[in-house]
Amino acid sequence: MNSSADSLILGHFLLTSSVLFVLGLVGFLMRRNLIIMFLCTELMFQGVVLALVAFARFHHNDTGQTFVIFVLTIAAAEAALALALVMLLYRRKPTLDTSAWSQMKG
Amino acid sequence: MDLQFAILIPWLPALAAALCGVCCVKRGLRKLAAPTCILSILGGFLVTLGISGRVGPAGEGHAAAQHVIEAFRWIGVGALQANMSYLIDPLTIVMLVVVTGIGTLVAIYAAGYMAGDRGYARFFTGVSLFIFAMTTLVMADNLVLLYLGWEGVGLCSYLLIGFYYQKPSAVAAAKKAFIVNRIGDLGFALGIFLIYQTFGTVSMADVLAQAGQVEHPTAAHQWIPFLLMAGAFGKSAQLPLYVWLPDAMEGPSPVSALIHAATMVTAGVYMIVRLLPVFELSTYALPTVAIVGAVTALFAATIALCQNDLKRVFAYSTISQLGYMFLGVGVLSSMGAIFHLFTHAFFKALLFLTAGSVMHALAGQLDMRKISGLRTKMPITCWLMFIGCLALGGFPYTAGFFSKDTILAETMVVGLGGHAPLYTILAVVGLITALLTAFYTFRLWFRVFLGPTEYETANEHHGYPVPAHNGDIQVQHVHEPHEVSWLMNAPLVVLAAGALLAGVVGEHWIASMTPGSVPGSAATAAHGAEAGLHDSAATLFGMNVHAAMMLISSVVAIVGIGAAGYYHWLNRPAAEDVARRYPAVVHLLANKYYVDEIYDRLIVTPLRTVGELCYALDRLMIDGLVALVGFLPRLVGLAVQPAQRGVLQGYGLGMAIGVAIIILVIVAVT
Amino acid sequence: MMPYGLYIASVLAALALYMTAPRRGYSPARLGMLLGAMTLGGLWIALAKHLPDLAGQWTPLVYYYLFSVIAIGSAVRVITHRRPVLSALWFVLVVLATAGLFVVLSATFVAFAMVIIYAGAIVVTYVFVIMLASPAAPDAVGDDSPTYDRAAREPAAAIAVGFLMLAVLLTVAFEPLVANPRAAGPSDQRVLSRDLTQRPPELTPEGPPEVGKQAASVDNIERVGLDLFRGHPLGLELAGVILTVSLIGAVVLVRRPIAPEAAESPRDTDVRDE
Repeated sequence: MNSSADSLILGHFLLTSSVLFVLGLVGFLMRRNLIIMFLCTELMFQGVVLALVAFARFHHNDTGQTFVIFVLTIAAAEAALALALVMLLYRRKPTLDTSAWSQMKG
Repeated sequence: MDLQFAILIPWLPALAAALCGVCCVKRGLRKLAAPTCILSILGGFLVTLGISGRVGPAGEGHAAAQHVIEAFRWIGVGALQANMSYLIDPLTIVMLVVVTGIGTLVAIYAAGYMAGDRGYARFFTGVSLFIFAMTTLVMADNLVLLYLGWEGVGLCSYLLIGFYYQKPSAVAAAKKAFIVNRIGDLGFALGIFLIYQTFGTVSMADVLAQAGQVEHPTAAHQWIPFLLMAGAFGKSAQLPLYVWLPDAMEGPSPVSALIHAATMVTAGVYMIVRLLPVFELSTYALPTVAIVGAVTALFAATIALCQNDLKRVFAYSTISQLGYMFLGVGVLSSMGAIFHLFTHAFFKALLFLTAGSVMHALAGQLDMRKISGLRTKMPITCWLMFIGCLALGGFPYTAGFFSKDTILAETMVVGLGGHAPLYTILAVVGLITALLTAFYTFRLWFRVFLGPTEYETANEHHGYPVPAHNGDIQVQHVHEPHEVSWLMNAPLVVLAAGALLAGVVGEHWIASMTPGSVPGSAATAAHGAEAGLHDSAATLFGMNVHAAMMLISSVVAIVGIGAAGYYHWLNRPAAEDVARRYPAVVHLLANKYYVDEIYDRLIVTPLRTVGELCYALDRLMIDGLVALVGFLPRLVGLAVQPAQRGVLQGYGLGMAIGVAIIILVIVAVT
Repeated sequence: MMPYGLYIASVLAALALYMTAPRRGYSPARLGMLLGAMTLGGLWIALAKHLPDLAGQWTPLVYYYLFSVIAIGSAVRVITHRRPVLSALWFVLVVLATAGLFVVLSATFVAFAMVIIYAGAIVVTYVFVIMLASPAAPDAVGDDSPTYDRAAREPAAAIAVGFLMLAVLLTVAFEPLVANPRAAGPSDQRVLSRDLTQRPPELTPEGPPEVGKQAASVDNIERVGLDLFRGHPLGLELAGVILTVSLIGAVVLVRRPIAPEAAESPRDTDVRDE
């Protein structure tokens, strides 16, 4: 399997990675549902991870893949805490709309 | 007594002022204020008497010995040396006797007069401070220290005129006094600056010595006397800066007696006498002084004719008598001026204090038209005031007679003997004024004390009107006028004795003490400007000028008294008849020639307008500028505020834009 | 030529995404998806010109195209779907596609780690929470989505910013290709065109063995494991600590008693909200 990847170009992977990242960013800014907002941050993680692994492959340095493990860890921890907080917020107001939490206005 | 004790003279009252200040604060010590003050001034008086033996009198043709005592170094900057040092010479001794002697007597009177007043201790603090300043003024060795005393007495005058500070008229009078004095003081200060610039020193001895040497006075030299004169006119209430003195009667009567009759207002006269050689630098200076003095004397006397307020009459009389003193100085008769100062202090203080007794008895009533025939109720006061009035009017052989006569005689001598008709005219003016003086003085006395006994009391209690119906306080001031206590009358008796005897006794003493004052000659040997003119070759009506003038003065005085007696005792309706026949004149005089109104229109209102303009400008522009500076950040904040929506994604958007731009910039640059 | 192509592609893609964004009323979503697909295809075709000589090894490239399409398409559905649950499910598909891409890159361990952890745990948690936090019955017949998910929030601004960033990123990503197509020496092109697994001569370990640079025949898992435990032990421990902390934290947080605020209907504003 290793020798079959020699025709691929780093740039293609970076293209996919950037598109995923940007889609995640746009989704984060566009959606009003709190949980889906966090899901879009996970989408951004996907893009980043893809870029990491592509570079790791390109530079023959496995640290990139190690870093992916760390990213996974952090993503998991962050997801747990974020969802816990969302649950608390939901208890406060029975809505997931981010517009509901705008008391820091002006 | 060693001359070093002279330091006690100003500093004992200063200490008393501090102690009285303590008494102001601590309620329980109030009673101590008066004895402290009296004792300090009395101490000064005793010291003065003690050191007077050390100070030799002036001999024939040479100035008296001068001793300088330095208390401590005050200002020593380069060439300018102005220390707390005191010059003790015979003139100083005379002035100190007046200041401390009259001061003690008035303070004793005031201890009784001001009893029960809430500001009792405050009063004596002011008086002690005043005596400190006045003695400093009189004993000053250099012009800066004299100015210190000058300003000090002005300040104390302000404090004491405004003693009843809750009365708006008193406050206004105090401000007026201070401000008008300030105008004069400006001239005085400029004069001192000019002296320092031309002579290079402010020490009086040096200045006088240098002034005597000046052969050809420059323009600067000629301006100095006029500037100094402005200060003297302000402090001693001559034209045109006299307007504060009648209003100063808002203060308590002891204040009027001490400050505005005997001591403060004579500071101007003293200053000119001290600095005579400087005044001789300009040939026009002394004649100006003489003219202003004589004109003021006449002017004030005419106003006094139609005044109805007891103290106002005496105030204008003070202005008039000060005019005499200036006339005396103007003809280089410093002996005459100081002599008149001396006697005037006695009888004017006496008059003010007896007027105060009347006021006290009638609960603040001062209107002559509402008082009559008090002789039956207050006999002692009546005859004390009679003595004072005799002295003021110049009745033969009273003190006032001798001193006034000296001045008029000297003026006439200069006029006739020196072939200067100006002075003859001034002497005649003086005589007319003497007639008027006798008339209005006795108009007052005859009105108030003789005739049918009827009076109207006012309702003032210690300077403030008492409200009509006051539930708790039972005011028993609608009462029978009664004599004042013996404590208050004792000093008056002493003053009366002085008013009678000071003339006879004092003439020789004063003559020996004032510089270059040999009777009959009005010039020092060093400034022999008109020395040769004053010889007894001048005659008037065939007699020696002095003798002739004495005769004329006596006649004038008796005629005046007689006329007053007729119109205001025997035939009072006749006085009203005369007044009705010349209503315009009466109005003009009663309203003081409308001088106050003229000043108000010409000077005060424009200044006030300028002040309000400046205030508006300050509020609008400067405060506006500051407010604008404060407002700008708020404006910026308001502009930026909409960016904070409070919603998470708004911030996220902002961040994303920022990151995008940064990356763009980095990429574009590299 | 290339940069302009990139920019045009970005603009078209932005337009496509804008059209697919959820909005009230008529939504040109399908049109948008078509446009997006065309843009992506066009971009790949343009890039294909610069591909080096594949020498017949084009299987990985095909797989790359396949998985990329799935990933990007699913990502679009994640961010534009109205129903939150389905968004989460599309996300699962994204994860799977990304895992496929990892496999293409011979990073097998992380591929399966992603599937297990992300798709298996994280997304499941998300779905649970979505279920728990669903609002009451929706008010429009035939429309099951929550009111606040029916319209996007300022799609224009968000998309503009996003694709600005995309343009920039792509410019950076493709720059070596554009700038220096014929560089001598070990240029990127040459490096790219050779076998990525082949170790270049200068990287052969001669001295002490470098971390992570093991022999080519060692397994991927072994290599990653050796790198992780030899090169980043501290990170490993910290990761463990973080996981523990977040576990405890989540439990503590959720057990807090929170009083609900005064009932306030969720603001039902239109697209141009804010």
